[in-house]
Amino acid sequence: MIEIKNVSKSYVKNKKSVDSLNLEIKNGEIFGFLGPNGAGKTTTIRMITGILDPDEGYILIDGHSIKEEPLEAKKNFGFVPDNPDMFLKLKGIEYLNFLAEVYKVPVEERQNRIEELTKKFEIYDDLNSYIESYSHGMRQKIVICGALLSNPKNWILDEPMTGLDPKASFDLKEMMREHTKKGNTVFFSTHVLDVAEKLCDRVGIINKGKLVFVGTLEEMKEKFKEQGSLEELFLEITEE
Amino acid sequence: MTFLLTKIFLKSSMQKITEQNGIKDVRKKSKAQITLYALLFAYLIGIMWFLSTKMINVLKEINAETVFIDLVFMMVFFLNILQTVFSSINLLYFSKDTDSILSLPLKPYQIILARTNVMLILEFAVNILIGLIPLIIYGVKLNCNALYYISVIIGLMLLPILPVIIVSLISMVIMSFSKIIKNKNKFQLFTTLIMLVLVIAFSIGITKIDSETMTDEQMAQTLTSAGSFTDMLKTYFPTFGFLVNSIHSNNILTLILETVKTIAVTFIGVVIYLLCAQKLYFKGLIGSLYSGEKTKRGKVKIKAKSKRLGIIYVFKELKILIRNPVYLVQCVLPALIFPVLFIGLIFIASDEELKGITNSLALMLNFNKPLILMGLVAIMQFFAMFIYVSITAISREGKNATFIKYIPVPLYKQYIYKIIPNVLMNIFSTLIVLGIARYLLPIEITDLIIVFVISILMNVSLSMLCLIMDLKRPKLQWNTEYAVVKQNMNLIFPMIFGTINVGIVIFVNTTLKMYSAYIQLVIIAMIYILANICIYIYLYKKQYELAKKIM
Repeated sequence: MIEIKNVSKSYVKNKKSVDSLNLEIKNGEIFGFLGPNGAGKTTTIRMITGILDPDEGYILIDGHSIKEEPLEAKKNFGFVPDNPDMFLKLKGIEYLNFLAEVYKVPVEERQNRIEELTKKFEIYDDLNSYIESYSHGMRQKIVICGALLSNPKNWILDEPMTGLDPKASFDLKEMMREHTKKGNTVFFSTHVLDVAEKLCDRVGIINKGKLVFVGTLEEMKEKFKEQGSLEELFLEITEE
Repeated sequence: MTFLLTKIFLKSSMQKITEQNGIKDVRKKSKAQITLYALLFAYLIGIMWFLSTKMINVLKEINAETVFIDLVFMMVFFLNILQTVFSSINLLYFSKDTDSILSLPLKPYQIILARTNVMLILEFAVNILIGLIPLIIYGVKLNCNALYYISVIIGLMLLPILPVIIVSLISMVIMSFSKIIKNKNKFQLFTTLIMLVLVIAFSIGITKIDSETMTDEQMAQTLTSAGSFTDMLKTYFPTFGFLVNSIHSNNILTLILETVKTIAVTFIGVVIYLLCAQKLYFKGLIGSLYSGEKTKRGKVKIKAKSKRLGIIYVFKELKILIRNPVYLVQCVLPALIFPVLFIGLIFIASDEELKGITNSLALMLNFNKPLILMGLVAIMQFFAMFIYVSITAISREGKNATFIKYIPVPLYKQYIYKIIPNVLMNIFSTLIVLGIARYLLPIEITDLIIVFVISILMNVSLSMLCLIMDLKRPKLQWNTEYAVVKQNMNLIFPMIFGTINVGIVIFVNTTLKMYSAYIQLVIIAMIYILANICIYIYLYKKQYELAKKIM
């Protein structure tokens, strides 16, 4: 469960990149975080993961404050950043072994977990190669495998579908569904409205730092008295 | 278009340290920073003034003061070559914007010219700083007229063009093989090392000229013979001769004539360069971009045993550092090369010279042991100034530096893990120096152990302070890995901290000279144990605050 209470953040004076954000992502829920470029999505995700400190408000991950109890909070989420070009000079397997140690994945579970994840994303055979030799999509896959290695309860994914091939994209969506069925949480940002429409239990739309809508697609249609697709509603909301 | 492209390349290669995520840090430079830069500049000028004055005086005695101009031009010329050796491959082939530039509707010569211009502008800056100051000192000392200064400026501006295009062309020839080389990392390391060997050979040659033990007579002889070396340069690099002649002549007509000749030769050089570069550059560029290593298939080794996180983390740091040719050459190799060079110089010296040095040092060891032991500590601090592992520990990660903030490992522990590789490099160079000392002098093993421990204590504090500086001023938005090291002002900090360490050693040695070597060393050890504890507490208490600029 992720709770964001009255969070604000400014990079420059008198211009809030995120303005009084309140959100609660419940257990068992896939939550899509939408918004145009520069709306505040990545800033919000960076605050949730502890990369940035909010100027106001607080964030709880499974009841642990990211600011007050950072280690406990960080143990409870797996994070996929927007840029998958990480640790390019390490081999795929070295990267995963390192993360297994960081997240204290029990030795007996590591073998199965790494095999299961990397075989699902079809990169098992490439694990002995340096990450720099991977394509963009493969890099995205290894970062996703790393984030899910410790089987965290909360998944926080920044544009996770970028660069993934259709099969990997489909598999990831299936994994998200399976994960939330077990009572866990998935919070992800995306520009692909089709994915959000089909996958998310609820969506939040942020525009110019403010949360302009949060709820299900049905609630959105009801609120804005429109019967169009999420894409049409999104354009309607963000253009206002 | 070439001008615009040059501006873009230059801006991206010199991106400001304070720019983060596209948001400009509007804070002005603090007074302390300005004072620091002013002091450093004054220090540089002071050293140049001292060396230039000494050389000019020595040459004046044998009526050969004009050789000084040749020497400065020769030094600047070789510096241009050395700088381009290091920068050309990285700027031409490993800039991050290469992919996006290739897809733009630009003519090949525009890209080549713009990239070359960036190298040239960096060389102009070096020439102004390193070449202009000694030549102004020369002009002041010899009451030269305005024509002298004009010809010096024209000379320093035109001089780097030929070396830059020649070295770039050599780089392009080497890199055109990159498509057939499977491991581009090893290839890049190999090419840089070849060029580095040339640098070392050159340095050894220079050290023969710049020896403090020389008498004035010997120095004058060496300087004039070095002056004759410039005659050879004039044959192979005609523009070098034209420009030096124009300064010597002090005649407006000769200045115009030699400048026109230089421009003509340079123009022909640039045309040939562009013609060849258009054939070679893109072949190598595509090769270096798209000839990644083949996928290695085989049994995947999943760690069946859990190790301490600290060990795994430090190994990760070392792997990333050593596998990256740019970081290996710029951050690690100086630590290994300088002591090796030191050994080389000892073996170059003749048996008689070596015996003389050893005897006098051994004698001094009997009479003034503290001085020798403290001297050893100071030498090791000198080598420590060239290890840039800790000062770039955060900046090297670039945008991915945020990783340390979202994993469940305390930040202060990660800081310590990032410092350890720097200390390990220090240990290596320290052992070499102590090995040489043991070889040359009858120093007891216990003394060496004490010196080793003190050196490591000093290096731990230096490494921690360097990391703090990198955390406070991280350079995370870079275009080439080369920029992290070569265009990073933070690199002055190891030098500052190393100098302070040497200063503390000298201070303790001079104020406590009535006490034995051991008492002096124990006091230094205590100072640094205390300093290390304080810095560690600071790292622990300010761990989150220090990471604020990583975002």
